Amino acid sequence: MSMKNPALSTSLIKEKKWSFDIQTILFSLLKKVSLPILVFVVFVGGWELFCRATGIAHYILPAPSDIYLAAVANSENLLGAMFVTISSALMGFIMSVVLGISGAVLLASSKVIEKALYPYVVLLQTIPIIAIAPIIVIWFGAGTNAIVIIAFLIGFFPMLSNTLVGLNSTDSNLRNLFSLYNASKFQTMWRLRLPAALPYIVAGLKISCTLATIGVIAGEYIAGIGGGRGGLGYAITVAASNIQTAYLFACGLAASVLGIGFFLIINYISKLLLSSWHESEMDQQ
Amino acid sequence: MTVKTKNVLVNMSGLSKIFPNGTTAVKDVNLEIKEGEFICFVGPSGCGKSTIFKMITGLEDHTNGELEIFGHSPDEARKQNEVAFVFQDHTLLPWKNVRDNVALPLQLKGVSKKERYAEAERVLELVGLAHTTTMLPRELSGGMKMRVSIARALVTRPRLLLMDEPFGALDEITRQSLQEELLNIWQKDSSMTVLFITHNVFEAVYLSSKVAVMTPGPGKISSNIEVPYAYPRGDQFRTTPEFGELVGDVSKVLDH
Repeated sequence: MSMKNPALSTSLIKEKKWSFDIQTILFSLLKKVSLPILVFVVFVGGWELFCRATGIAHYILPAPSDIYLAAVANSENLLGAMFVTISSALMGFIMSVVLGISGAVLLASSKVIEKALYPYVVLLQTIPIIAIAPIIVIWFGAGTNAIVIIAFLIGFFPMLSNTLVGLNSTDSNLRNLFSLYNASKFQTMWRLRLPAALPYIVAGLKISCTLATIGVIAGEYIAGIGGGRGGLGYAITVAASNIQTAYLFACGLAASVLGIGFFLIINYISKLLLSSWHESEMDQQ
Repeated sequence: MTVKTKNVLVNMSGLSKIFPNGTTAVKDVNLEIKEGEFICFVGPSGCGKSTIFKMITGLEDHTNGELEIFGHSPDEARKQNEVAFVFQDHTLLPWKNVRDNVALPLQLKGVSKKERYAEAERVLELVGLAHTTTMLPRELSGGMKMRVSIARALVTRPRLLLMDEPFGALDEITRQSLQEELLNIWQKDSSMTVLFITHNVFEAVYLSSKVAVMTPGPGKISSNIEVPYAYPRGDQFRTTPEFGELVGDVSKVLDH
């Protein structure tokens, strides 16, 4: 008996503590999101009221309810366009990651190559993408190819320069350690410099993924549909020329949802990559 | 007491290092290091202690004089994997666990996973950290990280172990227990020679069989002071009059 009682009471205490934890978590979550939600409700409600009270023309400022209805009415087109845009963005992003990292490895493995090529990489970056987009369309034809390349070009430079800085900032003691143990250039790159550059690479990923979404929409704007199905950028140009303002708003919202979603996914992946050892992604305690 | 002195391992004669900008880092160093010795290089910063180490490992070339390690040039000696190095900083790779960090020198040599893990576990046992194999460096205290760093240096079974102020960043209590452990490890392996840089005179006298006292401007060895006391010395050695006398001798050369 006397053995049983303490066990019972500890399990009771545990249960109590557990439910208490759930409560505190819910409460802190509520505290965290309640203010932003309040602002959202006030803003959207005020907007709706303003439109109804002033009777402003729908094609100038559609009410939130109009935007919702336009999105629902065109949901098939909208979802299709989102899918086209995100697939192009993903392709452009993957290209910029692969070529950006390998370019940086190439530049970092030889000071001569870096000195010879890096100025041109910077120069390439300073040319506004809008200025060379028509050339890309001429070369690769209107449509997906040109769009993906525009997205790639926008995301490539941050990927390359971030990785390059990371590869070049390896701790000098660690590099000495590797040369002391007769590590080859390849071993030093693969076992030391690349993993040590991971925090920088992850920062590049975050920049490039947002830029890739922007690049694709700008590309669709310029390169259009080109035979295939159009993405969000194309839907925006069509909606604009038809003065479907409510749908235009819906497209804009869809674009930002895509951008945020893409960023959150990359953010999550970078957490997985770094959380075990790098301070920037550790849980604050 | 074990008599450990044997063949000459490192021979420096007239060794000098002048940097391209004209500063003389090390001038005319003559020193013969025999197998199994424990030599401390003590001196203020800028006296060329670290430069001598870099020349021994071949990370820096010497400009004048001669430097031979087991009768080879520094580069050749390093390529035979018989020289190991412990830095002041633990220099562990934060993304590798303790065992992988310790096994790194063998991994770079191309030793199979099974073999290098067995070796890593052997040296981790030696420094008393067998229970930490799968932990990451950030989970360890400063003293433990330094032990792992020492284990990594021992994993290649080096004949020459160079230590550049390894305990400089540790607190006094941790430092003393690590000194003790280091001496134990060194005594177990009669053929291993240790060269140890410090700016702590007490540490130098306590650890070494010979203290090379260095002075700056230009860096040179001003005096070699023998410490003729048997190992294991134990904590009581730190409080003997002889210990104080030797510390005084070394300090006198440094103040000069």
